[in-house]
Formats: sequence, C-alpha cells, structure tokens
Amino acid sequence: MAATSAGRVLTLCRQFQNACRISTTLSAQQSTVTLTKGRSYPHRLPSTLLSSSWSCNLDLAVQCRPLHTTISRRGLEEFFDIPENWGEATVKSGAPWTAKQLRTKSNEDLHKLWYVLLKEKNMLLTIEQESKRQGQQMPSPERLKKIDRSIRRLDTVVKERENALRLLQTGQERARPGDWRKDVFGRIYWYRFREHALPWYMNRRYKRKRFYTPAFVAPHLRLRLEKYLRAKTRKQKKESENQAVLKEKFPQMQAKSQ
Amino acid sequence: MRLTAFLSMAAKAAFPHDYRFGTNRPWTIAAKRMNPPGKKRRKVFVEPIPYDEWSVFRGDTVEILSGKDKGKQGKVTQVFRHRNWVILEGLNTHFRYIGKSANYRGTYIASEAPLLLRDISLIDPTDRKPTEVEWRFTEEGEKVRVSVRTGRIVPKPVVQRRDGIIPQQWKDGPKDTSPEDTLEKTYMPSLKTLEEEVMEKLGIEEPRRNQKSYWY
Repeated sequence: MAATSAGRVLTLCRQFQNACRISTTLSAQQSTVTLTKGRSYPHRLPSTLLSSSWSCNLDLAVQCRPLHTTISRRGLEEFFDIPENWGEATVKSGAPWTAKQLRTKSNEDLHKLWYVLLKEKNMLLTIEQESKRQGQQMPSPERLKKIDRSIRRLDTVVKERENALRLLQTGQERARPGDWRKDVFGRIYWYRFREHALPWYMNRRYKRKRFYTPAFVAPHLRLRLEKYLRAKTRKQKKESENQAVLKEKFPQMQAKSQ
Repeated sequence: MRLTAFLSMAAKAAFPHDYRFGTNRPWTIAAKRMNPPGKKRRKVFVEPIPYDEWSVFRGDTVEILSGKDKGKQGKVTQVFRHRNWVILEGLNTHFRYIGKSANYRGTYIASEAPLLLRDISLIDPTDRKPTEVEWRFTEEGEKVRVSVRTGRIVPKPVVQRRDGIIPQQWKDGPKDTSPEDTLEKTYMPSLKTLEEEVMEKLGIEEPRRNQKSYWY
C-alpha cells in the first residue's frame, strides 16, 4: 500500500534486504511509503511490528546513512509508565540484574538489554521530574536505583569481556594508553593520552606543557616530603596507641588488629 | 570518568574519623543534633570483631547475661555493628516522654536501650540455654553457626524483607524477566568484540577506516 506525500517518507522491507533511504535533506519526494499497518504518517517515523534494523545500500546515488532504531509501540507515551500504574503510590518491581546472570548472556542479548534498560531509565527519570514539578512523591523511587545498578553491572560485564579479549590478542592491560609522568610540582601521576590530529612535535600547545620538575621546586619537594613523613609517623603512632588501649580494655579478643 | 568518580564520592556518606554513632540513623535530625559538624566527644573504644565472625543477626533470639533484664530472652530488632550494639524487642527498657509540647507533657513510652555483644548470648535451639557459638563449615561447604556445647546448628533467622516481599509468593510483573529466561545461557565465547558481533547480526557493514590519529 503506497502513499505518496510531501515531506519525509521511508521505505522498509526487511525480508528482501532493501535499502532504507533517509535523505538528510528535508525535501524528499522520491521515496514511497510501504507500511504493514496501513497507516501513514507523513511527518513522523512509522511504528511497525517488523524488524528493528535497516541497512543502507551504498549503491544508491542518494545520500544516505544507516539508522537502527528500536520499535516504538506507543510513541512518546513510552516516556511514561503504563496507564494501569498511573496514580498508584507504589509500583511493584523485581530485583535488579546481577553480574553473574549477565555474564551468561550473549553479546547480542546484552546489546538489546542495554537499550531496554536505557529506555526504562528515561521513563523513570521523566516520572521523577514530573513528580517534582507537581510537588509530589515519586512512586517507588527504588526502581531508579535498581536500573542504575543493572546498567552499571552490564557495563562491567562488557568491559570484562573487552579486557579479556584485548589482553589475549595484544597483551595491553588498558584500553586507553597512558604513561607515568612527573608534573611541574614533582608529583608522579598517570597521564592518560588523548587523541590528536597532529603529531606531538607539531602541536604547539602540547609542547608548552611541562612534564618535568624545574630545579627551583626542590626546596618545596623537601618540605612536602617532610610533611608527608611527619603525617605518616603521627598516624602510625596514633594507631599503635589505639591498639595498646584496645588491648588493655579487651585483653582476650584481639583477632583483627586494625 | 572523573565526573562519575566525583559523583559516587558524593553519593557515599562520609563520616569524620571520630564520629560517634548512636541509636539514631545518621541522616535523621536527632542524629544531626547529637553530632553537629564541629563537635568533639570522648572517644568510645569498640572491641574489634572481624566481619566474618559476627554471629548475631536481626531476628535471632538471644538471652541477656547481665543488666536489668538478666536471664530474659528476646528477639533482636536492630544490630549496630560499629558499636557492637544489639537492641532487643521490649527488653532493657527505660521510660521517657515523646511528643512533648508547651502544654502537653507527652506520651509516656518504654524505649529499649542497646546492649553490648558481651552481655548477649545466642540460644541453643535444643535446650534453649545460652551457649557460645562458632562458625563452622558443613559437608556441603555452607558456613553455619554451631553451638560449642551441644554441636547443634543454630539456624539463620527468617526475617521479613524490609520491602515486604515474600520470595515464595512473588509474581512477575509485565516488565520482569521470568526466572527461566534470566538463567538461560546464551553466551558463546568468541574472539569477536561486542561491537563486531552486533554489527554482524544487524548486517551493518562499515568499510570506512579511521583516519590516522596520534595518541599522546
């Protein structure tokens, strides 16, 4: 069912692996719309029950770029909770995903889950902001914490897998290169590299940075070292005095000496 | 990365090293009144008990060994690890008025005082007498509390969760993943990164290559 209309229209046909042409310019009169549901929205992305991936065919002369979206069944209403939960004081929610459970999932599953969690987080943040605007309590704020934890654990699992692969294939321990460098104050720190378009010898701003300590900083270094040693001694002395008092008060139980 | 680290630091509660923990939770007004930022009080020495050797939990039935209510058994309602305190239900009480106002003298209630771990003893389930308890491993490898005198295992108390959920009666909501789906193993180890695998599955072809860049 084709509908011709002015404005942006899209082509979708997954089974035959056709192209999706999204013209970057707004004046699109070339493509036609084929929708399975029979509705046409000339100015909005259609919501279909078909696949979520379109691929761009570079053979076409039209300027195009690939777009991959999830199916949006309710449109903008996905930013809010389902209508059954409107007005409730508490909304039931299950336990967050644990890292152990996430490690058994394939990369594709994790990829899909990430976007599911992201959309849920957006929904909860919208609810939170709306309840702030209306001056009311958000129903079940612990859902946000659960989602945050799930997202963090997913990220951890993905990083673990990436780390393992990188260690195996290259032996590099870190994803981002860096180096131990001394700053102007004599402190040694881990300097994380940044990506540049020019080599370092052509980068004027980089050449102005000083990764060494000038000679006149030496007295300051001595004083700082003295301060550090004094603080360390003070702390050790306090700790030993503490231990002595604890030993005196609780003579029998001294298992954890900390 | 530094921003997230900073935010997580702010999210975690930071106490001064000489903070005196009381029965009130630290974020309540009463606790803030008792511990204003600049106050200095005499230091309380708490017997250091390692984390793994802690044997008293919320919901346990324990007996009081010394004090006003010596010999009585009660259920533990609150445990304060940083001061080795335990609050029992309705025992070791003193009386006070709460909700006092200008004209009204307030409600006279009994409030429990905390008991130190030294004055508490766990109860053997067979003869219901106080015993010493040790942590030992069962044949399955589970860590359990065992009474030294009789050798009987002291079971961990069943306490209702704070959010009121009973795991046996839980029904999944529309957004919850079912247990079978959660435990289903779909991971196939391969030498591909997540990005490469996903690109393969979605049929994305990226023939462009990165321009040469310099890292320093």
